[in-house]
Amino acid sequence: MEDLKERIALLEDYIMKKCLWQFHSRAWDRKDQNENILTRTRQILCGEHVSLETPADRCFWVDAVVLADAYRERFPWLGAMAKEQITDLLQAVHERLDYLTITGSLNLELTDQHY
Amino acid sequence: MPYHEFECSKCIPERKKHAVVKGPGEDLTHALPLGYLNTIPGSISERGCAYCGAKHVIGTPMKDVIHLSHGPTGCTYDTWQTKRYISDNDNFQLKYTFASDVKEKHIVFGAEKVLKQNIIEAFKAFPDIKRMTIYQTCATALIGDDVDAIADEVMEEMPEVDIFVCNSPGFAGPSQSGGHHKINIAWIKKKVGTVEPKITSDYVINYVGEYNIQGDQEVMLDYFKRMGVQVLSTFTGNGSYDELRGMHRAHLNVLECARSAEYICNELKVKYGIPRLDIEGFGFEPLSSSLRKIGLFFGIEERAQAIIDEETARWKPELDWYKERLKGKKVCLWPGGSKLWHWAHVIHEEMGVEVVSVYTKFGHQGDMEKGIARCEEGALAVDDPNELEGLEAMMTLKPDVIFTGKRPGEVAKKIRVPYLNAHAYHNGPYKGYEGWVRFARDIYNAIYSPIHQLAHLDISKDEIPTGAGFQTAKMLSDVNLSEEVVSSSILRQYTGKYDSVSDLRKKTYPEFKQ
Repeated sequence: MEDLKERIALLEDYIMKKCLWQFHSRAWDRKDQNENILTRTRQILCGEHVSLETPADRCFWVDAVVLADAYRERFPWLGAMAKEQITDLLQAVHERLDYLTITGSLNLELTDQHY
Repeated sequence: MPYHEFECSKCIPERKKHAVVKGPGEDLTHALPLGYLNTIPGSISERGCAYCGAKHVIGTPMKDVIHLSHGPTGCTYDTWQTKRYISDNDNFQLKYTFASDVKEKHIVFGAEKVLKQNIIEAFKAFPDIKRMTIYQTCATALIGDDVDAIADEVMEEMPEVDIFVCNSPGFAGPSQSGGHHKINIAWIKKKVGTVEPKITSDYVINYVGEYNIQGDQEVMLDYFKRMGVQVLSTFTGNGSYDELRGMHRAHLNVLECARSAEYICNELKVKYGIPRLDIEGFGFEPLSSSLRKIGLFFGIEERAQAIIDEETARWKPELDWYKERLKGKKVCLWPGGSKLWHWAHVIHEEMGVEVVSVYTKFGHQGDMEKGIARCEEGALAVDDPNELEGLEAMMTLKPDVIFTGKRPGEVAKKIRVPYLNAHAYHNGPYKGYEGWVRFARDIYNAIYSPIHQLAHLDISKDEIPTGAGFQTAKMLSDVNLSEEVVSSSILRQYTGKYDSVSDLRKKTYPEFKQ
């Protein structure tokens, strides 16, 4: 369990320090970004097919590719994990990111109707 | 993450919620400074106004335009030439500024007539320029001048000209950031879609939130052109008025300064379905990731990778020379908005400096979220600081250098803290691989300047070491370095030219088949 917590923290720290896509300005926008990019990151890490039908799909996908590559390079233990484990890990990172940037965020503008 | 109360601001208790210290093991949900609020009475803010944000930050970098302020000349003066957003048309927009010169009598009797006279006079004085932006100011907004009606009248009488009206008077928001929002929305509503651009590539982008400070845009354009990507428009540094009217035809919006220009990206996404990709031109790793993302989006990743490999090989040994000498130096990162988060992590990682404080003059809480997430534990984060708070922070944190604007920068000098201009740069451009080395060199020169060392001596009481010889920056910086580093045959100081931009304007690029 401690091991899992540590791994979640490492993946979270990478996103918070190196990425910008999780910090769009509205709560709904952040939810959309987190969901789409982390889902595709999981698909890439699990070797699954990623849909690239629309320009928006491609845009989410490029952020996911770069994130997945960085994860593989920095955290070689990902390579030894089964698909189910990676899915659980990314799900936990997703929940944590939603908490930090949306549900637990102290940013008052996220839900400002006049923004 | 406890709130931080400045001693000097105890008499303004509301200020306490505008500063926090990033504590060990804490995250963004523990505390976040308030932001984008009206400045508290009694706190002498360093902010600009909403007119300044619209004109000075976003409107004026457009290069082929007469930028006219409808108001007193003072408004124009304060938004003229204090930022080095150069352009490749001989800096027209920097050399000339225009105002309708509103006086007391116009406030009483109306200023529409004088505005119309000024518009016509300006077009006649510069017959080659057929585009104009007009900025409403506080006085003319309050008397209710209908600037749009006057602009329409002139366009009817002079069909060859086109005029954009920006209604963002100084009071239209708590800071310049209110003006960023207003001009973004006005531009997409009034001008985008009114010109059909010529598409010359299969890969077409708008480069948004980039202001060509000392040539930043031109450096980035060089990379895009080498990749065969057509930059339809730049919003707005070195950008052309008519190109910006054709933004709707891009395949992708790449966004740098989200604080000032995310609004237009978000609107282009909703209205035209153009996705928004946030990128970074500062720092080797963020820039490489950004170029790679653009390459991936268009399926030309190998072109991006070739640039990354070539540029990294050329400039990394020079960056590392400075990193060895900047390790552990304390920095206060006090810019306006976006550099707070663009730089917070990467200057620590790639130059070895310690960011002991971040602040933003006009940023929103979203900027603070990004900045605090990216800086290390113990950093002091402050929203909309006043001058006394800045002084107190410098006395307490004892930084080796601060990166800020020239007003707080000059204050820092008085207490012997060197500063670098984070807004207009010292010897930029700072974007791009070479630019990042130029930034490192400027930091090095600021910290190790022999003149700066002498400034610490007070001739009224300190003993002046008349027997000691003059020390060079290198003597000061290398004193504690290992022999291996000092005599390294790989690491080297900056070897680029004094002017790294002009040659780019003459460069030819490979043609990629469509």
